Amino acid sequence: MIFNTDVALQNAVNGLLIGGTYATVSLGFSLVWGILNIVNLAHGAFVMLGAYETYWLFTLYHVDPLASLPLTAAALFALGYPIQRYVINLVIRASFLVTFLLTFGLELLINSGRSLLLGPVVLPLVRVATFAVAVAVAILLHLLLTRTRLGSAIRATASDQEAARLMGIPIAHVYALTFGIAAATAAIAGGLISLSFPIYPAMDAGYTFIGFVVCALGGLGSVPGALLGGVILGLLQTYTAAWLGPNYDNLVAFAVLILILLLRPAGLLGRVQRFRG
Amino acid sequence: MTPAGLEGVLRAEHLDAGYGSVQVLWDVSLEVRRGEVVALIGPNGAGKSTLLRVVSGLLRPRRGAVTFDGREITRRTPEEIVRLGIAHVPQGRRLFPDLTVAENLMLGAYARADRAQVAGDLDRVLALFPVLRERLALPAIQLSGGEQQMAALGRALMARPRLLLIDEPSLGLGPIVVQALMEVIGDLRRGGTSVLLVEQDVGVALAHADRGYVLETGRITLTDRAEALLGHAAIRAAYLGLAVGDVGRPGSQDR
Ligand SMILES: Nc1ncnc2c1ncn2[C@@H]1O[C@H](COP(=O)(O)OP(=O)(O)OP(=O)(O)O)[C@@H](O)[C@H]1O
Ligand SMILES: [Mg+2]
Repeated sequence: MIFNTDVALQNAVNGLLIGGTYATVSLGFSLVWGILNIVNLAHGAFVMLGAYETYWLFTLYHVDPLASLPLTAAALFALGYPIQRYVINLVIRASFLVTFLLTFGLELLINSGRSLLLGPVVLPLVRVATFAVAVAVAILLHLLLTRTRLGSAIRATASDQEAARLMGIPIAHVYALTFGIAAATAAIAGGLISLSFPIYPAMDAGYTFIGFVVCALGGLGSVPGALLGGVILGLLQTYTAAWLGPNYDNLVAFAVLILILLLRPAGLLGRVQRFRG
Repeated sequence: MTPAGLEGVLRAEHLDAGYGSVQVLWDVSLEVRRGEVVALIGPNGAGKSTLLRVVSGLLRPRRGAVTFDGREITRRTPEEIVRLGIAHVPQGRRLFPDLTVAENLMLGAYARADRAQVAGDLDRVLALFPVLRERLALPAIQLSGGEQQMAALGRALMARPRLLLIDEPSLGLGPIVVQALMEVIGDLRRGGTSVLLVEQDVGVALAHADRGYVLETGRITLTDRAEALLGHAAIRAAYLGLAVGDVGRPGSQDR
């Protein structure tokens, strides 16, 4: 293997920049898993919808992709809130498996509209801007969770539903808001992806998988964790592609997933805290 | 509108309640009048926490009614009930462990409509429990047991309740902290707040209460003024360890 510092550096930069997008993909996935305790298999589909929305806004109306992000995010929030409140809430007390199946069904439903959405596209690369947006979204979400009344209500609901209800927190509404926010961040991720990567109807499964891996790396429901996990995965994939060839990146991601689950089930930054006794 | 004379008054009438197919409460009736501290005592598993859960709306009773301020609250949600002025300090405190003490306290005021006054109430709570002031920025999990209980009580007070439900505040705490907590409860009562106090330490509970109820296997078996209960032979034997019978409660669960 030829080791070249310039190439290695270029890979580091590429990996870091892609990692930002991965982080955005995973933020919402992590939020929903960590707080609602739902593994949302439709998350990648939200990313895909966001990507297509950005693409069509650009193609049909010439809206700058970065400028259309808030719009895309709002649209997916408006989709996510009622899905959680009126569909998933019906089974929130049901078993893990039921919610798993339901979100998988949602995923199929959204994906079955694939014929409406058209083929691959590559827009001009603006990866640095993409990364900046990714970091900004993470910071905003972090501030929302840690500095606002809604944020503390979301975290309280995640940690103890019953105690949250005793505070007067309307938990069904909080859950739906959380899901809507997650869908909105997924849409932003999709928009960002559409800037640098090919988009296609079947892209969703891959991005749900990325959500999984980044959560495993960074821990559930943790914004800094999602950032760290995203960047690590981005770097890993870029280096694997450079050194082993492009077909091994998912394999490596999967290997990392298994390793982390074995060694640190709570993720690199994750902690599981409970009062004793 | 609150019917005259019923302000701050809790009435539970003929409650049956339970979990799934298991019935825990059987025809339970109880009253807390305005500005009164009422102790609810009874052995492990008698249904004391279950009764508080029914009052605060976490559990719907199968039969019977709960009224507060003369208004029926039986089928209301906990969110509505806390707005009506009932705050519940649950068994085991149930603070949010990862959230800071300040966040925990502020969440106690979540349901309040008069947000402008919340900051002043935080000052008042911190004046009651000065030790919490230095701990405001710490995650609640880092508090000692006594501090946790103070934070849990302070969090409930942030709702400006007219009725407080307190479940086993002294569990795991030393006598000095328990004494301090009881003094705060006494102050609240003098301020017109009604208190329904579930307490494992029957001596402490009755010493600070106006009246008491004894709940045994889901039924109210005895009720009287607190002093009278303290002198009652059955109570002395079963709960105060003044005759045969152990008062130790090894299996008491927090959750
Ligand atoms: N969530 C639940 N699901 C099923 N059964 C429950 C539940 N909570 C309590 N129980 C049962 O209901 C009965 C009464 O419990 P409860 O907690 O009300 O008793 P308690 O008087 O508060 O006891 P302790 O002194 O141990 O706190 C017990 O037999 C208990 O096992
Ligand atoms: Mg109890």
